[in-house]
Amino acid sequence: MAVPRSQNNPVTTRFPVRRRAVVLPPSVVRLVPVAAGVLVGAGAAGVLGLWWVDTSSVVGASGWFTGAGRICGLLAGYGCAVLLVLMARVPLLDRYAGTDRLARWHASGGRYVVVLASAHVLLIVWGYALSAHAGPVAQAWTLVWTYPDLLTGTAGFLLLLATGVVSARVARRRLRYETWHLLHAATYLAFFLVFGHQLSDGADFMAHRPVQLAWYALYFGAAAVLVRYRFVAPVRSALRHRLRVAEVRREGPGVVSVLVTGRRLDRLGALPGQFFRWRFLAPGLWWAANPYSLSAPPDGRSLRITVKASGGHSAALAAVAPGTRVWAEGPYGGLTADAARAAGTLLVAGGVGITPLRTLFETLPGDVVLVYRVRRAAELVLCAELDAIAARSDRAVHYAAGDAPDAVPLTARALVRLVPDLAARDVYLCGPPGMTDAARRAVLRAGVPRGRVHHESFTF
Amino acid sequence: MRRAVSTAVLTTAGVVVLLSLKPHHSTVLLSVPPVPGASSPGRAAGPPRDGTFTGAAVRTPYGPVRVAAVVRGGRLVAVRVIQVPSGTGRDQQIAGYAVPRLAREAIGADSARIDAVSGASYTSQGYIDSLQSALDRADG
Repeated sequence: MAVPRSQNNPVTTRFPVRRRAVVLPPSVVRLVPVAAGVLVGAGAAGVLGLWWVDTSSVVGASGWFTGAGRICGLLAGYGCAVLLVLMARVPLLDRYAGTDRLARWHASGGRYVVVLASAHVLLIVWGYALSAHAGPVAQAWTLVWTYPDLLTGTAGFLLLLATGVVSARVARRRLRYETWHLLHAATYLAFFLVFGHQLSDGADFMAHRPVQLAWYALYFGAAAVLVRYRFVAPVRSALRHRLRVAEVRREGPGVVSVLVTGRRLDRLGALPGQFFRWRFLAPGLWWAANPYSLSAPPDGRSLRITVKASGGHSAALAAVAPGTRVWAEGPYGGLTADAARAAGTLLVAGGVGITPLRTLFETLPGDVVLVYRVRRAAELVLCAELDAIAARSDRAVHYAAGDAPDAVPLTARALVRLVPDLAARDVYLCGPPGMTDAARRAVLRAGVPRGRVHHESFTF
Repeated sequence: MRRAVSTAVLTTAGVVVLLSLKPHHSTVLLSVPPVPGASSPGRAAGPPRDGTFTGAAVRTPYGPVRVAAVVRGGRLVAVRVIQVPSGTGRDQQIAGYAVPRLAREAIGADSARIDAVSGASYTSQGYIDSLQSALDRADG
């Protein structure tokens, strides 16, 4: 399973890490997600405006269906471009809106686009069938086979629909991350396939050269952002940093740490609590880039991840030979020290979610308390390091194994007993969704304001 | 789940509102270039000359429509389509079902005073206007 990342703030005073991104003041940071939302909304309004200007009347049932289908189609086409940008991992968005928020937007946006596209198909077929006095099936047949670019458009739509289905929460649980990842990449093909018919059949584009150009600009812009940050950036980073596996160490049952070294790692600008997407150039591993959090504060010379075997990729990592080349895409994640508002902090880690919180435990300023929960005591990893940090900087770590009688339950009362000033602290959560949900509810009940609960879930 | 429902409801409501704000009758604004000698709609007194008369090209939002009227023995016996919108599959499909109906009706009525084919209001109006100008020419 992928390791959840947490967000921490970079403690630049203690870790002389050069930061690549410009640091924005908190008031501006809070505006980034809002501004992104306003921008997306304005674009959608523009698309609706296009339909409005171009439509003189809506006549009869066929007019209503065709009109509604056209609006759905325009919005779905616009939505495809927005989805591309959301998943381009633009550093500004990733860092200040948060990777998991982007992923949530992408997931709900994706569902919305699939529903809009489906509505578009049904309404257009129905509307055209009414106006042509044909049956819906016959009309669909005519559309697919005689309209320009609609054969590819149909293929793209079916692909989009299939991706939507496999991405649905229920189906995803039964898939390996790698399979899901590959299927998801098919959406690029789907977007490409459906693009043609938007311009060649779209009534709002046919005779309007400027509108066509704007649509091209929208898609080329989205594609350029995607290529820039998802293809060019990792390749350039690989060439610049030349990462290699230095050591693979067994930390516990099914858990390994991988130490990676390379050149000029300070230039990566990685902060404690962040994660990279790792691609190990070894047989069976090279084709997937998996997200794993740093499990040690980056020191400019090496990066360390700690991974629990749960999918094919993470299990194969244990067998990676030192010297294997590595591509690391990142750093990502907004669960850093930047997120902190208060002086004290409570960190709640579940299972292998300890990795980003372990770096925060070491680097966050102020009073830091760590609660580290696992199902069985045997699953505890990195304990020696945690104990050493606790002893060195006078911080408290509480281990809570589910099979131990003294385990700290995730209730408001138990947490407040442990940390009496909990309501005045920031809380960072990282772990499996069930645990983080329970912890979140508990700390909110204990009086921690919503804005001070920081959490990045890491179900892919 | 609740958000999914409210998003669906809001989207549907938005689409319905947008559609309902548009006029619900065909507002065909076609520009017919003045044809020399054009008279009032309908047939002028006296039988028209035999021959093939090309009508005016009538602009529609989807492209120009132009037809020619074939008159034999003072009656409209055929309508030839010179130009209809055909830029897209939809245009071709509309033309494919609307044009034969319009021709049949016009020949049956022996005039351009025919009803528009539903679902093809622009093309129908262009067809009717172009045919009218052709018949005016035959009369003239």
